[in-house]
This record gives sequence, C-alpha cells and structure tokens, in this order.
Amino acid sequence: MTSPTPLAAARLRQLQAVGVLSGFAAGAWLGAAEAPTKVVTLGISPVAISFVMVFGVFLARWSLPALIRGTANVGVDVRRAPHLVVWALIAGCLWAVANTLTIFAIRDIGLSIAFPLWNTNSLLGIVWGAVLFNELRGAGRTRWLAVAGGATVMFGGALLLALASPSQAGAGNAFRGMAAAIGAGVLWGTMYIPYRKAYLTGMNPLSFVTFFTIGELGLMTVLAFAYLGGPEGAWQELARARGVLFWLLLGGFVWVVGDLFQQYAAKYIGIGRGIPLSNTNQLWGLLWGILVFGELAGGGSATYAQVVGGSLIMALGAGAIALATAPAAEHLRWQEAAQREAARYGVDPAYVGARLAGEDPDARRGRTIWDWIIVGAATAVFVVFATTARAPQLAMHHGWVAALALALLVLLGAGGAALWRTTRFG
Amino acid sequence: MAKRMDPVLPWWRAMLGDIQFWIPLTVLAAGLVLLRWVA
Repeated sequence: MTSPTPLAAARLRQLQAVGVLSGFAAGAWLGAAEAPTKVVTLGISPVAISFVMVFGVFLARWSLPALIRGTANVGVDVRRAPHLVVWALIAGCLWAVANTLTIFAIRDIGLSIAFPLWNTNSLLGIVWGAVLFNELRGAGRTRWLAVAGGATVMFGGALLLALASPSQAGAGNAFRGMAAAIGAGVLWGTMYIPYRKAYLTGMNPLSFVTFFTIGELGLMTVLAFAYLGGPEGAWQELARARGVLFWLLLGGFVWVVGDLFQQYAAKYIGIGRGIPLSNTNQLWGLLWGILVFGELAGGGSATYAQVVGGSLIMALGAGAIALATAPAAEHLRWQEAAQREAARYGVDPAYVGARLAGEDPDARRGRTIWDWIIVGAATAVFVVFATTARAPQLAMHHGWVAALALALLVLLGAGGAALWRTTRFG
Repeated sequence: MAKRMDPVLPWWRAMLGDIQFWIPLTVLAAGLVLLRWVA
C-alpha cells in the first residue's frame, strides 16, 4: 500500500472549519426538533410519538437529499461501495432500538437522570474513533486533552442542565431504567462506527441517510407494532392522536436538518469531535423550553444557577473541541484508515481519496423527474397532516419563537453556504 | 461509470471478515435483548 499524499494545508483548514460549523448547526437544529413535540400533550403513548417522528424523518430523509443533490448520486455511491448500504441499515436499526430504550429509561428513572447516562454516547464515539479509525492519532497531547477533556466537561455541563430541566421523576425500577439509559448510550455511541466507516470510504452523507432511514423506520415499525398491540393497536393509537401528528412530523423534519449537519460534521472532523459538538443540542432544547414555553417560570435561583452554569460549562467544552481541529499529521492517519478500507472492500483509492478531500469527481448534477416526484409526495403528506392539525393549546412567547427561528435560519444559511462552497455537499 | 478495484474477496465476504462489522451487529443484538428485558 502506498503512503497517502498529505492534503494541502489550506484545504484541510477549510474542511475542518466547515466540519466545526456543521457540528454547531447540528446542535441548534437537533435541539429545535424538541420544540414541535412539546405541543403534544400527554395521553399518547411515547412509542407512538417516536414512531410518527421517525415517519417524518423518513419523509425528510428522502425528500431533502432529492432536493439538494438528486437521487441519481445515491446510485453512483452504491455502485462504488455497495457494502455501505448494509452498514447504513445497521446504523438505522441501532438508532431505533436506542431511541425506544430511552422511552423506557424515562419511564423508570425520569429524564434528568436518564439523559446524562445516554449522553455518554459522545465519549464512546471518541473511543471508537481513536481505536478503529485513527482519530486523534498524531494530534499531539494538547489536542488530545482538548477533545477528551472538552467532551468530559460537556458531559458535566449536560449533567447540570439535566438536573435543572423540568421533568417528572421516574416511577419504575431504578436498576432497569439505568440499564436502559446506559444501553441507549452504548447503542448510539456504536452507531457512529458505521457513520465513520461510510465517510472514510467516500460515501456522501446524503446517500448514507437514505439507507439509514430504511433501517430506522423498518425496525421502528416492528417495535411500534410490538408495543402498541399490532398494526390494529398502532392504527387506533395514531387515529386518536391525529390532531397532533403534524407537529410530530414537523419535529422529525427539523431533526433531519440537524442530523444532516451532524453527518457532515462526522465526515469532516470525525466522530470524536463532531458528535460532542452536535450534542450542544441539549443547550438549544433547553433554550426553547425556557424562552418559548416558560418552563422554568417560578423556579428557584438554584435552578437558574444550574442552567447558567451548565450552559457555560457546556459551551466551554464545545469551544475547546472546536479549537482542537485535526492537524496535517492526524489527517494523514485518517487517510491511512481510508486506504485500509479501500483495500479491504476493493473501492477505487482515487475515489476514496477525492471524497475524503471533499471533492466529488463523479457527481451527477441536476435532478430527474423521480426527484421531483419524491419531493412532491413528501410535501403532499405534510400538507395533508397540516390540514388535520390542531393549533397547540399552549402558551408560547412568539417573540422568542421568531428569534430562535431566525438563529436557526442563520445557521442553516451559513452552514449550507459553507458546505456548498467547500464541498458542493460532497 | 463507477470504477471498482478488483477485490480479493467479494464485498460481502470482506464484510464478514471485518471485525468492525461485528461490533455494531453484536451491540444491536444485545440492545434488542435489553429492550425485551426493560419493556
């Protein structure tokens, strides 16, 4: 195997910057995805809520890539590296099981204890990134400390925020609940192995999510049927909830925008850095809760101190990771890992190298009639559900809705423009 | 046209021999068992 050629320093800096920006944009959009679900009042099974959100995710994950890049490119990626389809399906299944575990964890031990436990997934992501994909190798001690320390500090901040978050205490078996929460963290942390594998081998994030979502919706449907009493039970539960289905689908849609940014972050700065940065979603979720839904109203000064302290600590950790971008020596180790993948699976090393550098030599520009049919069908589903949606019976601060929505759009514009300029969404 | 190298093994055989394939698969199986227990 020949040694890889180092990437030009200026190009590497560009890719790292776009990866960091994608990580922060992911955090904002993933956090905002909680907002539509807050208008869903109690009385609906959490499994049904999760199932409908995943259906919204499915629609968005097929229509957004079709709109951004055209589905013809998915075929190109599959012909280059067919094994990654299996990896994407496994990742989708891991997500579905982890997400269902969190439902039972919240039931048994409450959100404030469960959240930090499954949030350990980013620490596991760092371990997998370093052990399996040469991440942080050749990065030097300072960067190692910044990333591992930053993620640990973020975990501490997340713990404080979770304790301050308004949530009902769990009412179940504590041991079982903790096992479910830790299990969800392990499943999510391990889900990043297929992510990194796909991006080192050159698959486009928009192609990866297309298959990921089939595994995700497929297994989620099986789980929903299992826990809601078969197709008939699931149908009755959904019919009962039809007034709020649109808000859940919308939550799924917003989540996908965040997830796409997370995928690009995983591609350009690796899972060790990209995942902790996108875990700032907790901060954004709390912002929506406090500012828009007045969730901490009447809370004591200790609660506010926890929120401010936790947010600052989390921001500090994220800042440390964002500044510790991969140097040339580390990127060379990534290229070696990519070459190993190319050799194992017989993928053209030139293609793998070009994709890792953010180039897209065989991309097909333009969209086909199928892309417009997919976009049209997904939009129609959203419109149909919107016509049956009930307006939320919840007090909201509309000024803050506008301010946070503006922040989202700014991050979307900045992140999207940077990705387009630097990689053409490659 | 997509150009692929001539691999020694077909991709599915290469995948079965890849330890990185078995880690997520094992974790997924364990997760399903855990889910059955906690639900």
